[in-house]
Amino acid sequence: MSFSLLFSDELRGFYRSKVMMFLWVGLPLMSLLLQLWQPDPGEDMSFAVLSAILVSSIGGTLAAVMLAVSIINEKNSRAYDLFLIRPIQRWSLVASKFTAVYLCIAIAAGLALLTGMVFDYAVMGGTPDAVLEAVGESLAISLSMMAVASAAGVLIGVVSPSVLLGAILVIYGGNQVSALPMLPSLTGMEHPVAFTIALGAAATAVLLGLAIALFNRKQF
Amino acid sequence: MSSESELVVLDHVSKQYRDLTALDDVSFSIRRGEVFGYIGPNGAGKTTTIKIMVGLLRQSRGTLTINGHRMPEEKEQAHRMLGYLPQKVAFQEWRTVDHALSTLGRLSGLSGHELERRITEVLDFLGLTKVRRKKIIQLSGGMVQKVGLAQALLHRPPLLVLDEPLAGLDPASRYQVKQIIRELSRGDTTIFFSSHILSDVQDVATRIGILNHGHVMQVGTLEELKAEFTITRDIAIALAADCSGWSDLKSLEGVGEVEQPAPRRLVVRVAGDADLDETGYRVMRELLDRGCRIRSFTPVTPSLDEVYLRYVGGEQT
Repeated sequence: MSFSLLFSDELRGFYRSKVMMFLWVGLPLMSLLLQLWQPDPGEDMSFAVLSAILVSSIGGTLAAVMLAVSIINEKNSRAYDLFLIRPIQRWSLVASKFTAVYLCIAIAAGLALLTGMVFDYAVMGGTPDAVLEAVGESLAISLSMMAVASAAGVLIGVVSPSVLLGAILVIYGGNQVSALPMLPSLTGMEHPVAFTIALGAAATAVLLGLAIALFNRKQF
Repeated sequence: MSSESELVVLDHVSKQYRDLTALDDVSFSIRRGEVFGYIGPNGAGKTTTIKIMVGLLRQSRGTLTINGHRMPEEKEQAHRMLGYLPQKVAFQEWRTVDHALSTLGRLSGLSGHELERRITEVLDFLGLTKVRRKKIIQLSGGMVQKVGLAQALLHRPPLLVLDEPLAGLDPASRYQVKQIIRELSRGDTTIFFSSHILSDVQDVATRIGILNHGHVMQVGTLEELKAEFTITRDIAIALAADCSGWSDLKSLEGVGEVEQPAPRRLVVRVAGDADLDETGYRVMRELLDRGCRIRSFTPVTPSLDEVYLRYVGGEQT
């Protein structure tokens, strides 16, 4: 019960936040600009992959910063005390925050990629099959990268004592870790989407599991 | 071991932070239905005790039970009967008063109409109805403190743990919160609260615990604490009319000093290890023999401030 209640609460808190407002509009806009600009992704990288990297890099970083800062602030202001003295499972506090932010950011990224692809199909003239395939790969990479970045944001939020340190760790650590799911696409694997999802899910599970374990042990 | 009458039992509880001993072998119990005031100087370990009690910290040694449930092992059961107001209450910044109470109430097991009714009742009780739809960050510090109290009362917990509940409140709100504490205790709620305002503790607490440097110095009713030691060993005498020769009282056995702070008022200080009762008897007999009319004859009882200062050695609260 506590997870679903906290999740809907966090969702309510995040989806109307200023950062999310920026992402709801900013990510689709960025995707559109990418389509118009049409950069050369290079021989080993499809345009869809490049687009996914850019969208998820910004979305993932913002999600990680948002999560880390939110957890650090709430931890330092002692906002968690009122939850922790109630009969709830501790893990639901951080898991609900992760899920809410990830859901918001995933929808924003999905919209962004879809906007770009629709634009590509309508203006540049592509085939529906090609568009769908590109969307699929882009989404897999984006969602995996953003999941890893979000989980890293939660972990950094739990361990970091200050917002400044948290932000530095997110930018220099979380961002690098979130690039893990890109490896299958970059190394030219035969089925990169499946490997990307698997790698992203595994890295997310490890980071989030570690964050929850540390949060459960934490004394407030 | 806890008896039926004891709701909370701390048994040799210690808390160690690396080189710092925050609590050292603390043992006391809180009886059902009482208002227990917990006083001590800054850094004495009051908040540490409270955080261990509510399960936010783990003790390094010793045991703590709430209604027989060991903390922190059985904290889920203990948390069902607990309401807690932290020293600095904080809420997530996007929450309104109503939303915060709704979420915290649900997490405490309330739902549906019952939850709605309790939120309305508690807000009305605390005079917060007008700010129900407001964001908590828009409220004053005193108001936020009251919202904190509201969330603690919402689910009618049998045990209320309040960390400095009167700090930061204006005099009217302090009076109101003290009235609430009295009212709740009449309704069988057990209340444990810390405070550095000794007069407030004296006003509402049925028993008092004094903590200093992580040690519980004394636990008891105010009368018991006063009786533990006679602080000044003075006898205050009020006379109906001026009485000559009072300075001769000094020659009586057991009398140290005699002062006249005001006309028809005498203060007799009992000397060294002389017995207070025997000396008092001698002084009274001497005054009566001299034809003095005595209006009152009272051993001076210390205030809580004096008791407190004796225990903590004059450290600031």
